[in-house]
Amino acid sequence: MSALLIQNARLLDASSHSDFVGDCLIKDGKIAELGTNLTAPKGAEVVDAGGHVLTAGLVDMRVQSCHPGAAHRETPHRLALASAQSGITSIVCLPNTNPVLDDPELLKSQCAMLAGLPDTPHLRVYAYGAATMGLQGLAMAELGLLAESGAVGFTDATRAIADSLMMRRVLSYASMLGRPVIQHAEDPILAEHGEMHEGEHSMRLGLRGIPDAAEEVIIARDLALLRITGGHYHVAHIGTAKGVALIRCAKAEGLRVTCDTAPPYALLNDVAVRDYDARFRLSPPLRSEDDRLAVLEGLADGTIDALASDHSPQDRDAKSLPFGLAEAGYSGIETLLACGLSLFHGGHLSLLQVLALMSHNPAQILGLNAGAMQVGMAADLTLIDLEHGWQVRGAQFASLSGTTPFEGAPMQGQVIGTWISGKHVYERGT
Amino acid sequence: MARRAPLDSATDCNGFAPLAGKHLLGIEGLDRPCVEALLERADAFADLPPRARLDHLNGLTVFTVFFENSTRTRVSFDLAARKIGASVVNVPISTSSIKKGESLLDTALTLNAMHPDILVMRHPNAGAALLLANYVDAAVVNAGDGRHEHPTQALLDALTIRRRLGRIEGLNITICGDITNSRVARSNIHLLSILGANLRLVAPPTLVPPQISAMGVECYHDMAAGLAGADIVMLLRLQQERMQGAETPSQREYFHLYGLTAEKLALAKAEALIMHPGPMNRGVEISSELADDVERSLITAQVEIGVAVRMACLESLGAPLLGRAQ
Repeated sequence: MSALLIQNARLLDASSHSDFVGDCLIKDGKIAELGTNLTAPKGAEVVDAGGHVLTAGLVDMRVQSCHPGAAHRETPHRLALASAQSGITSIVCLPNTNPVLDDPELLKSQCAMLAGLPDTPHLRVYAYGAATMGLQGLAMAELGLLAESGAVGFTDATRAIADSLMMRRVLSYASMLGRPVIQHAEDPILAEHGEMHEGEHSMRLGLRGIPDAAEEVIIARDLALLRITGGHYHVAHIGTAKGVALIRCAKAEGLRVTCDTAPPYALLNDVAVRDYDARFRLSPPLRSEDDRLAVLEGLADGTIDALASDHSPQDRDAKSLPFGLAEAGYSGIETLLACGLSLFHGGHLSLLQVLALMSHNPAQILGLNAGAMQVGMAADLTLIDLEHGWQVRGAQFASLSGTTPFEGAPMQGQVIGTWISGKHVYERGT
Repeated sequence: MARRAPLDSATDCNGFAPLAGKHLLGIEGLDRPCVEALLERADAFADLPPRARLDHLNGLTVFTVFFENSTRTRVSFDLAARKIGASVVNVPISTSSIKKGESLLDTALTLNAMHPDILVMRHPNAGAALLLANYVDAAVVNAGDGRHEHPTQALLDALTIRRRLGRIEGLNITICGDITNSRVARSNIHLLSILGANLRLVAPPTLVPPQISAMGVECYHDMAAGLAGADIVMLLRLQQERMQGAETPSQREYFHLYGLTAEKLALAKAEALIMHPGPMNRGVEISSELADDVERSLITAQVEIGVAVRMACLESLGAPLLGRAQ
């Protein structure tokens, strides 16, 4: 029997709203006891947490693994390294790989492969199944078989399920399987050729705009369909005031609706595009300051359930182009926690709220047995120094692609150590 | 604001450098003294005899790199560069490796290795000129970047008006046509605002950005209202594909509502003048009779003035480079 005692930690668990200084005893990879003045069993490894925050490992519910099919953007090894040092112990991958994860066997082997790489930190890997074959929106994927192979939800990844009838059928079928449908809420016709948020800045820059209505019309339509079908609808990377307002109303109405956002939509706005810097080319686009404030409000009042990295790495070549030709996306894993903590340091959210957004809530949305620090659960933990200051340097990322809209930004809060099933997968300074 | 040249002689090039930056990427951000110095200088060049050759930029090399088809702008830059004494290399894009997928930056680095002093570029994407400027040693002149800006067109429009009417301040200028997709409109809105004109736009709602009032202009959908009292009517080109049901229903409907005819022009001031950046769609933006009306149309004057304006722009960017070399 292996044992590990992490002493003198500020134990924070968003699932039980608990926050106290104490010890965490881990036996055989599971949390055995949480309390004060715990005694280390014979032969146990003892770690002094130095009063830092010990909490459940983060659950990142929106990651583009880029494997298979895009090894120039990200590799499984780099992804696992980046996750471990960012306190992320579970990731959920989008199906927009090449080939697409619309095949049950591929989805199963993909998760197993990513989680079990040699000479690589362990990482729990889940995946969404494609909602439609090839993400083409024309024929429903084998949702039932995908679910049996472990798909935790269904999505067409970076494409909206645009056809209303197809969306109705996917929502309806997925409701039988008890899995959520994750929507990239952007009307592809309204957004066609769009380069950035439509507003005064797009007008001045001469860039083609994507109106906020592109998000609004898809969410409004989907909610109308959901009232017919039942089931669980989840909006990914929500970024507009109108979208947040629709979700707030739908929740009040009692619909089974959840949503997430990503740090850029809470921390940046469309002014960032002023020099045509392709680092700020994201999908969906950075919205207006009013939209950003609405996202903050949605995070604070619980309308927005989760914060995901939306890790969508792009290689340097794809970003060294005129803005409109550059690929949308950024490397998000390594700034997720610090960006989340900036909402705490900035006084927008409590620390428990921030941690819930990145651990307990996404696990609840997707039905994962993760994201909580409770006796009996797997010891997926991360130890965080809340105060440690650092500056974002994409070139130093573990991720293969270091393009980030947060380049040069000062951050406060860094991971000291990460454990999965009680095994160290990352230790700062090693 | 740099020193202003003595303006009595266009053949004297002592320290003329009103472009405070190293590049000319757009009108937005330029100030009135800078713009007026450029116009003064171009005005002097425009008075030179047609065959005059200056040596102000002797020893400098200007590359023109056009990623979009262009005749008048490219020829105008070419001629302007030669008239002011620079060597010119017209880099052919349609027959080069660009078509084989080379990226803009690779092209930029290749051209940079040949040490051009000034790069004149047109590109279909907004912001391409700024991107280029960040990667090359040469001074960059934006000859049009997507829907963003076309600064030398605006400068030549302004000078054409000034030479004909003696001023721009206080004039009622109506810009009519596809505002949304026009870099000429953006540059002209900035420049004519800097120079104190009263600007009005006329376009159907599908061809004007909804946030246009932030630019400090009045917008009309009714051409009659927009033309009332106008001193200048500036027409913009409407691309064929935009008239076939996408942004407007049809060519004939566009001409009916927004095409400039003698009847509509009668609503403007009696001596109102017509401008167009070219190439014109006769019978779409403008009736053929008006386009050829030498009394009212400034269209050929615009082309002629364009060379002088580009001489002034090239000189203001090139002269400081020569100063450094000496």
